[in-house]
Amino acid sequence: MSLIGKLHRRVIDLGLVPKIVAALPLLSMLFAVVSVGWLALLPLEGRYRRTYISENALLPSQAYSYFRETEWNTLRGYRTQIERLANSTSRERNEEVAGWLREFGVKTAIYQDEKHGDTLYGVLHAQRGDGTEAVILAAPWTNADGMVNLSGVSIGIALTRFFSRWPVWSKNIIVVLSENPKGSMRSWVEAYHTSLDLTGGSIEAAVVLDYPGVNDYFDHVEIHYDGLNGEEPNLDLVNIAISITEHEGMKVSLHGVSCDKISDNDFWSRLLIMLTGIKNAALSGLRKVNGNEAFSGWRIQAVTLKAHGTEGRHDVTTFGRIPEAMFRSINNLLEKFHQSFFFYILLAPRYFVSISSYLPCAVTLSISFALASLDAMINNNYKKLPLSSTYNLLSLSMWCISLLGCFGIAQLFLRFDAPTILISFSALISFLPLLLKKKIAEPLAYRLKSVAFLFFSLVLTSLLMVNFFLAFAMGLTAFPMTLVRTSSLNNYSLRIKLKNSILLLLSNPFIASYIFCQCFEPDLPGFTVFTEFATAWKELGCWTWFVICIGWLPSWLMVALSTLNTQPAQLDDRKKKFQ
Amino acid sequence: METPERWVVLVCVAVRMIVSLSFPQLQQQLDKSVEFSTPFTSYRSLREGVYMLKQGFELYNGGVIHHSPLLVVLMSLIEPEFLVSLLYACLDALIAYQLACIARCFSKSITIPAWIPCLLYSLNPLALLSCVSRSSVIFTNVCISTAVLHALQGNVLVASVAIATAGYLSLYPLLLVFPLFAIFETRSSRVKAAAITSFTVAVLLTLSYTACGNNWAFLDATYGSLVRFDKLFPNLGLWWYFFAEMFDAYVPFFKAVFNIVVVSFIAPLTVRFYRQPCYAFVLCVGWITLTKPYPTLGDAGFLLGFLPLFHPLFGYLRYSALSCLLFLHAVVLSPIFYHLWVDLGSGNSNFFYAITLVYALAIASIVADLCWAMLRFEYDHGKPNYQLKVTQI
Repeated sequence: MSLIGKLHRRVIDLGLVPKIVAALPLLSMLFAVVSVGWLALLPLEGRYRRTYISENALLPSQAYSYFRETEWNTLRGYRTQIERLANSTSRERNEEVAGWLREFGVKTAIYQDEKHGDTLYGVLHAQRGDGTEAVILAAPWTNADGMVNLSGVSIGIALTRFFSRWPVWSKNIIVVLSENPKGSMRSWVEAYHTSLDLTGGSIEAAVVLDYPGVNDYFDHVEIHYDGLNGEEPNLDLVNIAISITEHEGMKVSLHGVSCDKISDNDFWSRLLIMLTGIKNAALSGLRKVNGNEAFSGWRIQAVTLKAHGTEGRHDVTTFGRIPEAMFRSINNLLEKFHQSFFFYILLAPRYFVSISSYLPCAVTLSISFALASLDAMINNNYKKLPLSSTYNLLSLSMWCISLLGCFGIAQLFLRFDAPTILISFSALISFLPLLLKKKIAEPLAYRLKSVAFLFFSLVLTSLLMVNFFLAFAMGLTAFPMTLVRTSSLNNYSLRIKLKNSILLLLSNPFIASYIFCQCFEPDLPGFTVFTEFATAWKELGCWTWFVICIGWLPSWLMVALSTLNTQPAQLDDRKKKFQ
Repeated sequence: METPERWVVLVCVAVRMIVSLSFPQLQQQLDKSVEFSTPFTSYRSLREGVYMLKQGFELYNGGVIHHSPLLVVLMSLIEPEFLVSLLYACLDALIAYQLACIARCFSKSITIPAWIPCLLYSLNPLALLSCVSRSSVIFTNVCISTAVLHALQGNVLVASVAIATAGYLSLYPLLLVFPLFAIFETRSSRVKAAAITSFTVAVLLTLSYTACGNNWAFLDATYGSLVRFDKLFPNLGLWWYFFAEMFDAYVPFFKAVFNIVVVSFIAPLTVRFYRQPCYAFVLCVGWITLTKPYPTLGDAGFLLGFLPLFHPLFGYLRYSALSCLLFLHAVVLSPIFYHLWVDLGSGNSNFFYAITLVYALAIASIVADLCWAMLRFEYDHGKPNYQLKVTQI
């Protein structure tokens, strides 16, 4: 205690407190810079770690894999048969394939979903297990790009047939053929946990196969692992997928970064993978959905294996050996995946940073908003206003109102998809101070900003553990908001007003996400991001839209309101009594 | 009842009724959340008790129910859902009204109008949600606020009966008799209060004995398992993680230690703030909220309800901003971290435990800061001098 007392006295002696208070806007900026800098330095040698298999039982590629040329003919047979089904309806096709699965002892059922498409699934009961755990082998009929997943489905069926001849399984194997990797797969997963009759126990892991076309050879494998709402599968599952793929001689790419770039293995390649990884995870559910997203939220670890290229030296059975070896590994597990990390960012297939290394970025970003809030609270003439002054109450009630209003906007947009109205309305509000002559009291402007930043900081803090990627992206794109100035002059100069408007425009949730997708996300051109916000919520239960509307928009509205022309208030307000 | 207070009380009842009626699912959801419900306060187990009572089973046979027998009997008399909601809303409004009355008792020192504490309690989201969750802490809270109000008004009988009932309902509030008796001015009234309290407790226990079919098993199921922390459930308190981790051999010893911690600060606080007994009373409520085995946010909401009464001391608070931020973050993050641990499985128990520590730190910093503020107030002889810098040695 005396140490703290001494420190306290020293701080007072040096007069640090007023200096710090005066430098608050600078400090807030500094924290944001530190946050970005911290992230940018993560790919430096020594800041990241090499991945390792944490769970000893997994033993990837320790057993020889047998899905080789002998199975090639079976696989091609199924593929030819499926090609012939191209013109049949989904029901006929499902019944035909169900017949094949039943031939080798798989119990099948068709989950009917008129809205998203039917799903055929079959349970292969484990000879050595008690039937309480299952692993999923999924192959949607069409893949994320809308191509027919011909080879993927054939590999799925051929592999199940291959598995059925083996007595080693201790977990049930469920093969799932859904109409598409998005809504159909998601609704099947939900139905599995709520309403289906034929089930095979709790699902430990899922492997989604994506191999479009009929080509026998392919070039490399891409592994997708981003879940919805910031979830990621256990790092052990991703590790065994990568380790097995490389062990079988194939190259691995991540987040669409090419294998050549990855093999450079320098600072820039790692930075690129990390940044695209953060972007993809932040936009997960909105951009192309690969299938593994469907398993989020049910304690299921899932990855998608995607074959790239039509020529190359790897044949289609090599691709089948990845799920084979993964299933052998997962089959060894005695407990759920829990050993390795659930929060991580991959910098390369074999390099990662864990949460303790990257979380400080989001924390400092959140602190930067808290400092901006503090600055708006105390760095003006109205610091001494009592806690229960009308300005405080007014700003708090405005916060409540804008929160409710934004919730209403979010709900309304889900019903009426009108992005142009949202954008133009946001732009209009940004330029309102230029157009409108109405004045608000100056202390109110400061209080509004203070409440807005505090709320946003709280939103970031609560989001940063659940969905670091979204929290970081939101914090960064909303940061211009804190630079908005409330001038104490009676009349603003036009320059300040214009600057405020541009800052508001940049930090508006809708405009910012539009610009962000235009610049960095080729999957979401134009206004599609807004359509995807709505469909991701309806089909997948991805709550990015609500986070943006309820966490970001109210703060932005309040800051926008605070840029209106102000007039100084009499300070004797504090002497006013309540009655 | 004066006009503004009447309005505030009406608002209090109306808000609670509107929330419970317009979100019928909310009650069950809150009752399942660890922040608002514990095995000892949850409405689910109270309903189970009512059912068992009606079917003629022995209440405490299954080991599920830890509510006091008379509370179960009382709830069995009220059938319709609407009336239950109304009962809870009215009890909460009663607390709010009593806060206003307490504020009026201090009208010399408190400059804010009496309806302000009342309104703040009514709109406090923690109190509101706790009321909607139908947690049984509200019965205890009503008794505590009744006790302190009537003690201030010099009504020995009601105050003693109320504190005895609070103690009967959840045991630990019985410790509050010490600061409560300090409120009474004469020795004779203290003796009288002690006699009435013990008599009330005896009567309540005897009634419970009869209600349970002449069986003392309820003592063990309610107080015994509370003191022994039999149900190892995660909650906002400091107990559960500690006992989840510990070797069995040490458990009884540390359970005793934890109980002693709850008891130990009551007497010192009462003695030190003997001249401000009401203040000592609230500090003791804070201490019990911090250290009791099964705390909920309802307890915290109740504690916060008293704070506006001390607004002359606010100038002395040293780290009110820190306490506010800690409290705010703990309340917001605790359901999130619990979700990460229990629903998603990507976090583990340490996540939630870390947040309960933040929560405990928030409560502790509020209590410690209030202690300091009153000591400074004494030092300045009641004439605030905020310029004077005083440090602890």
